[in-house]
Amino acid sequence: MNCKELVYLLEDYLEGTMEEHLMRDFSAHIEKCEPCKNFLKTYDTTRILCRKMKPEEIPAEVRTRLKEFVMEKGREYRKDIEKYRERAVCERREQVAALIGAYVSHRLSPNTSALFEAHRDRCPKCGAFLRSINGGEAPSPVPLEVEEHLAEFLETLPLGESPASG
Amino acid sequence: MASERLLDDNVLLEELRVGNPEAVEALFDRFHGKIYGLAMSIVKNESDAEEAVQDVFMTVVRKAHTFKGNSALYSWIYRICVNTCLMRLRGKRRHETVSIEEFMPMFTEDGMHASPIDDWSKEVERKALDKELGRMIRKSTENLSEKYRVVFVLSDVEGLSNEETAKILGLTVPAVKSRLHRARLYMREQLSRYLSEGKSH
Repeated sequence: MNCKELVYLLEDYLEGTMEEHLMRDFSAHIEKCEPCKNFLKTYDTTRILCRKMKPEEIPAEVRTRLKEFVMEKGREYRKDIEKYRERAVCERREQVAALIGAYVSHRLSPNTSALFEAHRDRCPKCGAFLRSINGGEAPSPVPLEVEEHLAEFLETLPLGESPASG
Repeated sequence: MASERLLDDNVLLEELRVGNPEAVEALFDRFHGKIYGLAMSIVKNESDAEEAVQDVFMTVVRKAHTFKGNSALYSWIYRICVNTCLMRLRGKRRHETVSIEEFMPMFTEDGMHASPIDDWSKEVERKALDKELGRMIRKSTENLSEKYRVVFVLSDVEGLSNEETAKILGLTVPAVKSRLHRARLYMREQLSRYLSEGKSH
């Protein structure tokens, strides 16, 4: 093991999740390497310091303002719950349609594409549906079960990832 | 104060689904501090954080009926919060962030440390309560790009496990570990530079 490899494994070492044979190499190296000894100590100290960081506290006036806003919107929501629900159903349908559209026209971003294909191959329902449209137009409406699966798929995409590229 | 039975996640969700205002209040009381802190550490300014928190609560209230219970309620809410904040950042001119590569340790061709490594751990222990050191750490995390900052904040500031962080962000556990490791290498280097500057004065 050299210094570079050791640095790469520091987290595993400190978490105690290092494999035994690596552990032997790790200890043997650090025993005789002063820079790595120092690197380990300072890395460990960094971890401890970082874990002591506290989130910003909310200022009292911001809390009051936010609470009023949220409660007000909550009351509005209750009055128009059906309207909001319908809108949510429409939004979901549109998002799923956009996903399928991007898939058939090969516009999925590389990341999403890999995840989407993994889902397609793992899920018999979605797999069968996607094979049935095979390059053509998706029937409207998309079967409810497939829509639900794909909506769930969209929910689990890595954050900041937009499904279609360009 | 909202009633006690609303402290149970399932009851809270049930009541949110029917639009009970008491449930909205209970949701707010329980999560606003956490959400605000998380939003602040991602968007980095008060007015953006405030608007992000508004959006997060609206989304949670309106989407409560779609929550499947595959994950814990708080991790679903954190996910919504991170997502809302990232979207908000995307709509803006990018904050200047530093390139993390400039802070990674350097090695020679045969994998040895390319520059001397000082042990400043004792020095930091003495400074542990130093306000300036705390400010410097916060400032350094703010300069990290979102990719690393979000992982760092969820793990170290919020104290979530790598598994929880991975689930919230939709990443694999190895991806979370790798980002966290790089974020810590960056912080270590920042601390090194900060402390050696202090010495030269």
